Amino acid sequence: MVYCIGHSIISPLGEGSQANATAVQAGRSGLRVHTSRFADVEPFCASLFETPQDFTALCIRSVEMALKEAKIKPEEPGVVFILSTTKGDNLDLITPAQAIARHFGNPNPPIVVSNACTSGVCAQITAKRLLESGIYETAVVVGCDIQTRFIVSGFQSFKALSPEPCKPFSPDRNGLNLGEAAATIVYTRTQTASLTEHRTQIRWILEAGSIHNDANHLSAPSRTGEGAYRCLMDVLDGTDPKDIHLIGVHGTATLYNDDMEKAALERAGMANTPVSALKPFFGHTMGAAGILETILCMMQLQQGTCIKMLSGFGGVNAAIKLKVERRKGES
Amino acid sequence: MRVESEIVITPEAVVLNGEHVAVQETGDKMLVELYRHYVGAYPKFFKMDTLCRLGFIAAEMVLKSTDRFTDGIQNTECAIILANRSASIQNDTDYLTTISDGNYYPSPALFVYTLPNIVTGEIAIRHHLQGETAFYVLDKPEELEPILLSTLNDKNTPVLAGWCECSGPNMFYAKIQLIWNNLSNN
Amino acid sequence: MEQFIEQLKAQIIEALNFEDMTPTDIDTDAPLFGEGLGLDSIDALELIMLLDREYGIKLADPKAGKAIFASVRTMAEYIQANRTK
Repeated sequence: MVYCIGHSIISPLGEGSQANATAVQAGRSGLRVHTSRFADVEPFCASLFETPQDFTALCIRSVEMALKEAKIKPEEPGVVFILSTTKGDNLDLITPAQAIARHFGNPNPPIVVSNACTSGVCAQITAKRLLESGIYETAVVVGCDIQTRFIVSGFQSFKALSPEPCKPFSPDRNGLNLGEAAATIVYTRTQTASLTEHRTQIRWILEAGSIHNDANHLSAPSRTGEGAYRCLMDVLDGTDPKDIHLIGVHGTATLYNDDMEKAALERAGMANTPVSALKPFFGHTMGAAGILETILCMMQLQQGTCIKMLSGFGGVNAAIKLKVERRKGES
Repeated sequence: MRVESEIVITPEAVVLNGEHVAVQETGDKMLVELYRHYVGAYPKFFKMDTLCRLGFIAAEMVLKSTDRFTDGIQNTECAIILANRSASIQNDTDYLTTISDGNYYPSPALFVYTLPNIVTGEIAIRHHLQGETAFYVLDKPEELEPILLSTLNDKNTPVLAGWCECSGPNMFYAKIQLIWNNLSNN
Repeated sequence: MEQFIEQLKAQIIEALNFEDMTPTDIDTDAPLFGEGLGLDSIDALELIMLLDREYGIKLADPKAGKAIFASVRTMAEYIQANRTK
C-alpha cells in the first residue's frame, strides 16, 4: 500500500497546503485580468504570481515544505523524484528535474511525466507502481508549470480562454483560465521507517490509478467520455459508486471538457456524487493541477474515499482513488 | 515480459526485427518515404511534426510486423508508453517562429504538437487503442526500464514502448518494441 | 475573382499541410468541412489565423467561421469584402 506522508502547495493564493485550503474556503481566487504581462498577447484572465517565478526554485521551495512534514531523508537511495510538468523551465524539462534532485542530494535519475493536463495524476500513478513494485520506497512527486508568452499565445490561438473567471459545469461557461502553482506529495509504502514515524490521526492511501486514451481526437475529448469512463470503472473496481464521497473533476469550463466529464460520470453511475472543481480559484495549473487538486480533495474530506480525474490534449484521461485510514491512539 | 517485435529508426537506417529495411532517402524525407510505402491514405500524417511522424511510422511497422497483433478486445487495451530526452523541442521551436516579435500569428496547428505525449495520441487514434498512453522525459533510454517493469506489474496488457527522440528534422532516434506481458502470453 | 480563388487554394494547402494536393484538387464550391476536404476543428482555427495573417481579418468568434468556411468560394468572397490588407 502507498501512503501520503506529506504535501505542499505554493500558489498565488498562498504558501503551504493549509493556506491554500483556507483561501478556497474563504472564496478567494487568484484569477485576475492581465493586460501587459506578455508582449503581443491579448488581455487574458489567469492566476499568476505577482512577481515572475523561477521554475526550479519554485519546485524546490514546494518540495522543501512537503519534506518538512514527511520527515524523510531525500538523499537516501530508496527515494525517487518525479516531476510533473508540460513545459518545464522555458521548454526544458529534464534539466530542472535533475537540478531539483541534485539540490536535495538525491542519487537517483529523476523521472519527468509529461502527459499534458493529466501529468499530475499520471505522476502519482507512476509513483504508486514504482513503490509497489519495490523499486523505490518513497517518491517525491512535484508538479509545476509557469505561464509564458508561449503557452498563453497558444491557448489564445485555440480560442480556449475565457476573458473572465471560468465557470466549470455552468450552462454559460465559456472557456478556461490558466494558472501557475507548484505542488508536492510525498508517498511512501508499507513497512518503511518513514511510514512508522509518520504518526497522524488520519492517513491517506493511494488505492488505485488508471490511464486511458479516447483514441478519438488530439484536442477535443470524446463526446461519450470513453477514456474517462474507463478510468472511473478501473479505479472503482467494484466499489459501489455510493461509497465515493467526492470527485475532483478536471472542470476546465470549456464546453466540451465539462460535457465529456458529465457523460463519463453518468455512465459510471456517479451522477449524484458531490464534485469539486477548483479552477475558478487557481486556473488551470497544467503540470501542477493533478497534484494541487488531489491535495485539496484530501483536505476537503476528513473521512471516506475520493476520486481525482483529469483529461487532456492527446486524448489522454487519468483517474486515481484515495481513501482515508483513521488510526486510534495517535495524535 | 517478452519482446514480440522491435524497430530501430535513425536518420540513415531502419531495422525491423533485426533486419535492415531498404530505404532511398534519409532524415525526415525517409519518414515520408516510409509513410508512402507502409501507410498511405492517411493525410493527417503531413500535419504531424517530426517527433509524431517518427513514432507513428515506428508504431505502424512494429504492429504490422507481428501477426499476434490482430483486432481483438485485448488489443484495444494495448498501452503506449514512450519516452525521450528533448520532449517536443523541435516543434516547440517551430511554434516559436509563429509568435516572433513583429510577426505574431500563433499557429494552432503547430501549438497542438507542443506536447510530447501527442505522439502517443496519434498512435492511439490510428490503431484505435484505448489503453494507457503515457510520455516520460528521461536522461537516458535505460531509465525507462524500471517504469515499464512496474507498469507491467500493474497491468495485464500488451505495451508498445520505447524511446522516441527528436531534436531536429534530421536528428532523431527511435527504438520501439511491442512487449507482451508474460501473463497474457497464452 | 477566379485568380484570387486559385491563390487562396494555394494558401489553404500550405497552411493546412496538404502535402499531396494541388489547387486543382480542391473543388471551389465543395464544402471544406465534413464531406469535402474533411477538415477538423484545428484546421478551422488555422484558417482563422490565415485570415488574420494574410488579410488582416480578425475573427473573434470561431462559430462565425462556419458560414465563411462553407467553401473556398464563400471564403474568397468574405475576404474580398472584409480584407484590410
